[in-house]
This record gives sequence, structure tokens and C-alpha cells, in this order.
Amino acid sequence: MNLAWTRQRLPIAIGAAVVATVLSFVSAATTKEGVALSIAFDVAIACLTALTQVGFKANHPVVARAALTLLGLDVAIFITFFLGSSANFNLATGAAMSIVLLGLSFLTGASGQISLGNGAFMGVGAFVMAIWANHHATTPIFVTLLIAVVCGAVVGLLLGLPATRLRGPYLAGMTLAFAVAFIFILSSFSSWTGGDSGLQLPTQATAPRWLLGLFHAGTAPLTTTTLYLTDVAIVVAGVAFFFMANLFASRVGRSMRLIRDNDVAAELVGISLPRARVVAFIVSSAYAALGGALFTLINNAVSPSTYSFALSVTILSLIVIGGIGTISGALIGGIIYAFSANVITWITTQTGLNPQGNLASQLNGIIFGGLLILTMLFAPHGIAGAVRHLWQRVRSRSLG
Amino acid sequence: MVKTKSRRVTITGTALLLCLGLVTAGSSIVNAGAATKKVPGVTATQVTVGATEPLTGIASAGYDQIAPAMSAVFKYVNAHGGVNGRKIKFVVKDDCYGTPGSGCTITNPNTATETHALLGIPVFATVGSLGTPTQDSVRALLRGDDVPQTFVASGSQDWNNPQTYPGLYGWQPSYNEESKIFAKYINATYPGAQVCFLGQDDDFGTDGLAGLVAGGVSLAVTDLYSVPALVTSNGASVGPYVAAFQSAKCTVVVLDTIPGATDATLGAALQLGYSPQWIISSVGSDPQTVDAPFVGKVPTDPEIGAVTFSYLPVTTSNSPWIPWIRKVMTADDSEFTSASYANGVINGNVAYGAAVAVSFVEALKAAGRNLTRASFEKALNSTTFTQTPSLTPLRYTPSNHQGLNGGYLTTVISDTAEKTLTGTIYTTESSNTSPVVVAKSHSAGIPAWLK
Amino acid sequence: MDPFLTSRIVSDILTGLTNGVIFGMVALSLVLIWRSTGILNFAQGAMPMFATYVGFALLSYHWGYWPCVVACVIAGLLLGGLTERLLVRGLYGKPEINPIVVMVGFLIVLEAVAASIWSSTPRSLPSPFSSFDWHLGGKPLSLSPFTVYEIATALIVMAAVAALFRFTKLGLQLRASALAPEVSRLLGVRVGRLLTLGWMLATVVGVITTILVSGGFFSGLTPQVMDGIFAYGFIAAAIGGLESPVGAIVAGVVLGIVNQFVDDFVNQNAVIIIALVILIVSLMIRPSGVFAKSVQRRV
Repeated sequence: MNLAWTRQRLPIAIGAAVVATVLSFVSAATTKEGVALSIAFDVAIACLTALTQVGFKANHPVVARAALTLLGLDVAIFITFFLGSSANFNLATGAAMSIVLLGLSFLTGASGQISLGNGAFMGVGAFVMAIWANHHATTPIFVTLLIAVVCGAVVGLLLGLPATRLRGPYLAGMTLAFAVAFIFILSSFSSWTGGDSGLQLPTQATAPRWLLGLFHAGTAPLTTTTLYLTDVAIVVAGVAFFFMANLFASRVGRSMRLIRDNDVAAELVGISLPRARVVAFIVSSAYAALGGALFTLINNAVSPSTYSFALSVTILSLIVIGGIGTISGALIGGIIYAFSANVITWITTQTGLNPQGNLASQLNGIIFGGLLILTMLFAPHGIAGAVRHLWQRVRSRSLG
Repeated sequence: MVKTKSRRVTITGTALLLCLGLVTAGSSIVNAGAATKKVPGVTATQVTVGATEPLTGIASAGYDQIAPAMSAVFKYVNAHGGVNGRKIKFVVKDDCYGTPGSGCTITNPNTATETHALLGIPVFATVGSLGTPTQDSVRALLRGDDVPQTFVASGSQDWNNPQTYPGLYGWQPSYNEESKIFAKYINATYPGAQVCFLGQDDDFGTDGLAGLVAGGVSLAVTDLYSVPALVTSNGASVGPYVAAFQSAKCTVVVLDTIPGATDATLGAALQLGYSPQWIISSVGSDPQTVDAPFVGKVPTDPEIGAVTFSYLPVTTSNSPWIPWIRKVMTADDSEFTSASYANGVINGNVAYGAAVAVSFVEALKAAGRNLTRASFEKALNSTTFTQTPSLTPLRYTPSNHQGLNGGYLTTVISDTAEKTLTGTIYTTESSNTSPVVVAKSHSAGIPAWLK
Repeated sequence: MDPFLTSRIVSDILTGLTNGVIFGMVALSLVLIWRSTGILNFAQGAMPMFATYVGFALLSYHWGYWPCVVACVIAGLLLGGLTERLLVRGLYGKPEINPIVVMVGFLIVLEAVAASIWSSTPRSLPSPFSSFDWHLGGKPLSLSPFTVYEIATALIVMAAVAALFRFTKLGLQLRASALAPEVSRLLGVRVGRLLTLGWMLATVVGVITTILVSGGFFSGLTPQVMDGIFAYGFIAAAIGGLESPVGAIVAGVVLGIVNQFVDDFVNQNAVIIIALVILIVSLMIRPSGVFAKSVQRRV
């Protein structure tokens, strides 16, 4: 710990925390809300002071990442209390999708393998969640999520083993076939998977009782259930992002990137190519399964037609636009997924198109597909890459 | 070190200001005051309702006309002063039956997403949302938000569960009821014949099958088709089933199929030169919808002669509702996009939408000026609606939310119309043991205030 | 003889053959583009679909079936050429994922634009031949005038492409440009122009496939009509080997027949699952495809 820092900054931080706490209790309507507000602000202040400490990130990288994650979760959860059910639902699905995108970002960006099957891996997690919950209703949510992740990892292993021997287009072909076949695999086990109708969770997740009445929770249009599920999704996403950030920076992540850029050199250094490829596959499928399980939790139901090849295409599109190989790209992709429907509706009304007409209903495809092409042609590293590029140019200009 | 110190100061200062800003923002929102207890979706002059429908995609053939028909009825009622002083605003969302492909304009359609969008408006209730798996998946959501899920467009028995879902109501007769009436007809008209069955691999097919068996029909071959397989194979997936029926020499074939699947089946049979007596569920038998792909390509519509079931008056009957529906549709048909609704020709889907809308409007009226969810559900549970387009009266009780329970058998006579077979209206309840009987009460015309 | 020809086994073979030549043509187009430009064309179903819509839009001007077919072919040539020039040019030499993503994006855009112009309601095309099966001895033979037309057209197209590659100077140049572009350039071959030509050819093969698939009485033209077929064609190409046109065709036909047997004797869910298993097994044994020659290619 930097002693000079301690003497100058820590008192300011503590002072700010005290002020915030007092203000929270003064302005809050109930004690419960006062507690919540002060927790929110104090956590934010703590994280901010840690992150702004000179040299903290370099000396304690894992703690710094944890602080950043905690800060993000704090702000995000705070915001969810002031949105309606609809916006929270979108946010929740965006959070779940961003987890899936993280997995694909790692697989493709970090280890250079192409997968068109992540929609199917999502489906694995989604159905395991539903099937388990239907047979063991008392298992806590987080345990069921973990079970879904493990199953996703196992399927990833099964597909990853053949994948190690395959070059680009053939790997694409195999994952494509898996994605197309997935719905029919589900149909074959329709006694477990509920056939075309899918499955519903036996009981809807109930929010803890202290949530009711906190700020707007419980009054229309915000139900405690949607709020709770959204916050669960956000927390799980935060944890997933934290792990992925550490993985990227770890030795495993570095050896993956070496394989992607120069596999001959990697082998010379002693990295086992097949093993690394399988590990990447497993990580990506585990993440996808987690996202799928969250989807089931948020929708309280799972339907086989959701996990079609079209979903795999959507996943690929989102991470490409967000930025392959980056973590922020997954976040950007998740946000786009959450709010694209609203944006399209806004565009439709602004341009005065007939909302039932042919053009308006195809706008989603035209814009998405167009963005995909333009991104790949002119900004192959996606929005995250473009922002980073711009930031570096601004930085170099101000320094130079 | 000037740079570092000023940097530190600015950072801590920003952090503090951020905190203060958040606190003031938070407290101002918190103290904004609790909203007055209102009924979501209801104002003094308007009530907003919504529905999720398959406007595009595999299930859109025909079904995409239900919402425009409902809308036309609501507009007609609004033009005549509304209900209890309120106009009806109707919002429709496309959920593609939850299945991508086959022309669905949404990449990843999801009924829960669309329902959430409706809840965000907010809506007072959903009316006539379509599909068994689709509506099953949002039951808990709507119950959690205390939004009535009324007149679900599906014959599943899932809507009859007032213990768990007090705000959930079916409307059309269940598949079980329809199949038992078919069974009675088959046993009377085709005793000893080889009968085959093709149904959808969900409630629709399995409930229908159970009803046939409960009605005493023994089936030579039974097959269930999957909707995604139908989509991927462009309809070819039912071919092997039809071939199997032909090999088993079935002279009667019962179809519990949606219109797209009915078309695929009739087409496959044409190709094989196979023409049994078709008995087709009302869900997938509308002549205009089913014949559309065959028009101009074959000398005769393959559906002609098929027997089906109807709980609404056929267009060839003399019910006063038929000209009424025609009048309402021509008054404002701006929302119909499908070319098959043209020149004022009423088809089964338009009649369905109109009947559901009329039922809802009458329920709203019965709930009275003081419209809350409780008063609405009370009105539904205690009123017998005898003046709706359906052949038999519409009645719910606190323990039965299924809906209509009767109709008559009809036969397809052209590519646009059906005719009654005997004209006898049968009713039965939704269980394997309840018998099929001749209906005792029929519907009684148009109420004065709707004319 | 009659009972044999209308037996279940022969019926399945005939139906499987009809589907199989379609898969073979799709696989052939994929191989054409892969061998000439090293790119995996995910829009191999969507581009011909669009060209077919354009060509058959002339039906509303009372053009007949065959003039419309010619119009479709011309539209296909134009679309293939323009795509190569404008979209694909910038992708040579880039990481493998770039062209895949661009072509997927192109697929999405083409399907969306087609639906916005012509709507996604299935559009039935006029049929030059009847789609009703012939009957032998009272039982249906799984062949109709239309399916014979399909098989014959496919065989002619495949033979024409084979002849082009093997026996003409143009074919030789095409193969040379793909294998060794720098050397070919030195020898005076206009490599860029040949790459464009490769795409145009592949798109035309695709257009003919689409016309066959969406013609016929029981099908129709929709923006998504080629999606399922593209998947099976891709699988066939991967099994046969992306380097081998012959392998693509053979794999396509075999896959079509196997699919039909699985559909008939197992159930419809098993079709894609078994295709997936065959794909994985064949890629394990021969990771570059069954028909791939692993080391040198003789030009």
C-alpha cells in the first residue's frame, strides 16, 4: 500500500462514504431504503477509490478486476430498481446473452476456432435447467445453474474432441450440422424435453420478501419477480465476466492467443494444440450453457424452437459487431441484443413506415445483416476494437 | 508531482459529486410519491388490451386474419360509443407461434418477449392470444402481474385451471370435445372402417387422439408430426405418414393439423393418388386458407367433401351474424394484409376473430362502468352470454374456464365455403367420460346495442 | 418388374436420388467457390434465391416459364459477378472467419430484402411438367415428369461443369488461378477476371438448383426456400471434401438416398441426426473429406 496515498486519499474516501450514508438515510422514505441506498453508494465509493489508486491495477490485477466487476454490478442493480418490467426483462435477456457472447468471443477470438453451434450449446443448458427443475424442484437456483454449466461443458468436450482435428471450414460445417440437428435431437427425446411445446419451470422463482416495497418494486409496471430475476441474471453475468477476464490474462489465455496467431511456434514452445483447442471448446460451451439456463429462468419456460440455427447466427453476429476476442465486445453485444427491438420500433415510427408492412418487418434483418457486413469489411474488431483504436489515437495525439 | 496531485483531486472530487448526484436523483425518484391506485390499462375513456398472434411464420396461414378481424369489431364498437363510455385500444404483437422460419419476420421470436412488451404498455388484459405452447409459456408471467389472459385461441384444456390461474380463460371448444363429436359421427357413418389419425405432437394431437379413443374409435395407424420438421422440410415430412395410411388401407383419416400441415397432407395424398374420407379439425380446415395453394393448379380442390366441425355459423347458413360480420369488416378492413380476405368473403378465421371480439365486448359491458380486474372476472364467471356469434351460449363458472362446448358437423363444398351436414348441434364437456348430447340451448341473435 | 419398381426400396432410392442431385449441385457450387477463391460461401443458397425472385418477377409481365428461367440465369450471373467484385475482393488473404461472417451477413440481408420486396408468402411458379407420380400397376412410382426433369437437368449441369474444367482452356485457367495465382499471373492469366467468373458460374448452378427446388407443384418460392437444402449441401461438401467436385456430387447423391431411407425406416427426426453422425465419422477418418487428395494437386 502506497503510504502517501493512504494519508491523502483514504480520509477523503471515508469522508465521502459517511456523507453518502447520512444523505441516504435522510432522503430515503423508509429505513430499508436508507440501508439499500447507503450500501449502494458505499460500495461504489470503495471500488472507485481502489481503482483510482495509482499502481493498484498493476500490483493487484485480480482484486482490481473484482472491484471493477463489483462497481458495474452495483450500478446496474441500482438502475434495475427504477425501470419497468419490460425494460428489466430486456436487460435480463441481454445479460444472459452477453455470457454466451463471452464464450464465443473466447473461442473464436482467443483461440481462433470457428463455431456455428453456440445456439445449440445454449439449448443444452436451457433444457438441463428445465428438466432438472421439473424433477428436483427444491434445488436452489444457483446449484441448478451449475449443473447446467457442467452439462454444457460435457457436451462441449464431446464435440471438442473431434473438433481438434478439423480445419476452419470443416469445423464450421460440423458445428453447423450440430446446430441444425439440435432441435431434432430434442424431438427424439420428447418425453424428457416436452416435444414441440417445451417445458415450463414448475414454480416461478420467488423474490425474497424484503425486495417488495423497496423503491418501486411491487408497484406496476415493475413486479418483484422480474426485478429479482433480472438482478440474478446481472450478478451471474458479473461473475462470468470476472472469470473470463482472469482467464484472458492467465497463462491459459496467453497460450490460446499464441496458438491463434502462430500455431507452429506454439507447438515449439510445448503447448499441446489439441488439448488447448478442447479446453477452449469446453469453456465456450459451458458459458453458452450458462446463458441458456438463465434464459430458461428468465422466461420461466423453455421452447425447442428458440434454439435453432438462427440463434447461432444471431450469436455470431452480435459478437462480431461487439468485437471478437474482447470482453467489452460481449457486453456491447448483449446490450444490442437487449434493446435492438426497441430501437427498430423507434426507427419505424420516426421514418413513418407502415409497421405491418413488408419493409418494416424486415428492418431487423436488413440492419443486422448490413451491420455485420460493414463491420467485417471496415472494422473487423467490432465496436470494441474501433473504440480502442480511436482511444489509442487520441492518447497518442495528446502525448505527442 | 503537480500533475498527479491535481489528477487525484479531480478524481476524488468527481467521485464525490457523482455520489451526491446519485443520492439526489435517487431520493427525488423515491419521493415522487406513490401513484394513485389505478387499474393498469384502464382510463376514464379507454381500455387497452393486447394479443400475441402468429402474424408471420409457419402458423400464419389463415391465423394472421384473426387479429385484424378483432380489430375491425373493436373499431365498430368504438364508432358506436364504445363500452360503458370507454373506447377499446387493441395492440397486437407478432410472435410467429414461437417458431422461426417459414417467413417469420423476427429472427428469434419469443412469446415471453412480446408479452412483456404488451405488459409494458400496459394492457388491462390479453384477448385471443394464439397457441398452446406459446400461451402456456406466459401463464405464470401474466398471473404474476395479475393480468387476465382471456379467450386464448387454442382448444387445449390447459386454460381450464381456475385454481392455479384464476385470470385465465379459454374460449373455443377443446380438442377433446371436438374429437368426441367426430367419434360419434365416425361410429355412426363408417362402422367397421379402417381409421387413421395424424395429429400435431402437442396437446392438439394428443388431446384429439384421446377424444377419439374415448369416443370408441379404434385406429389402425396413429402418427404425430412436429412443426419444426414441417418447416425444415417445406412440408415433405408428412409424406411418409400419408404413405403409411395408404398402405394400411385406411378409408377414413382424421387430421388434427394446422392449415399448413393440412395442406402438406392433402398434397402428399394427391401425389400418391390416395383419397380417403378426410375428417379435419376446425383448427386447420378453413376452406379458403387450405385451398389457397391449390387454386389454379388442380382441377378440383382436394378438400372438397372433407368433414369438419364448426362452433360458429357457416357462411351458407342464415344466421344474422353473417351479414353483421360482413358489415363490420367492410366498414374498416384496413388492417387485413393477407390477400385471401378480399371482396368481403368471410372465412373461418374472420368469423373466429369477430366472435372472440364480440364475446369480449359483451364481457366488458357486463363488468360495468367500474372496471377492475376483479369486476371483470366476476362478470365472466357469473354471466351466460347467449347473444354471441357462437352456436351455443358462452358460459364460465368459478370452476370451469374452458369456454364454448358445442357445434355442428359441416362438409366442405367449395374452395371458400362449408355447408352443415345435418344441422344438429351437439355439446359435450371436456372430459373423456362426458357424453355427446344434442344441445338444448342455442344462441339468440344480436343484442340491440351492437346492431 | 412392376412390383419391384414400385416397391418401397426402389421408391426410396428414386426419391433419395431426386433430393440427392439437388444436394450435389449445392455442394458442387460450394466446391467451385472454395477451389477458385478459397472462401466458404454461406450465401450460396440465398444469392440464387434472390436472382430467382428477380427473374420470376417478370411473370407479372406475362413472360413464360422458359424466358423467366433465362432471366434468372442472367440475374444470377450479374449477382455472382457483382458480389465477387464488390464484396469478396477485399476478403482474400484475411483470417478465415472474415469471409464466413460477411457471407452470413449477406445471407441475412438478401433474405430480408427479398421478403420486404416480394413478401415471404410462398410464391408458386408455373410448372413445365406435371408433378404427379406415374403409376405402375395401380401403385405410385416415385417418379413424375417433374422429378425426371430435375434429375436430368442436374446431370446435364454437372456434366457441363466437369467438361468445362477438364476439357477447356478456360477450365484449366480457372484451376490454375486457384492453385497458384502468382504463377498464373506471370503466365498471362487474368486471375481477377477468372475469380469473378468462378463466382458467376457457382451462382448460376445455384440458380438452376433453386428453380428446380421451388418449381414443381408442391413447393413454392420463399426467401428461406434454400436454407435447409444449403445445410445438407454443406454437409455433403464437407464429407466429400471441399477440394473435390466429383466428391461433392457423389456425397450429395449418397446423402440424399441415405436421408430418404432414414426418413422412411426410422423417423424424420433421425434424418439430420444421422447426417451429423456420418459427417463427424467421415471427418474423423478423413479430416479433409473422403475424396480429398492430401498432398499435390495436378493442374
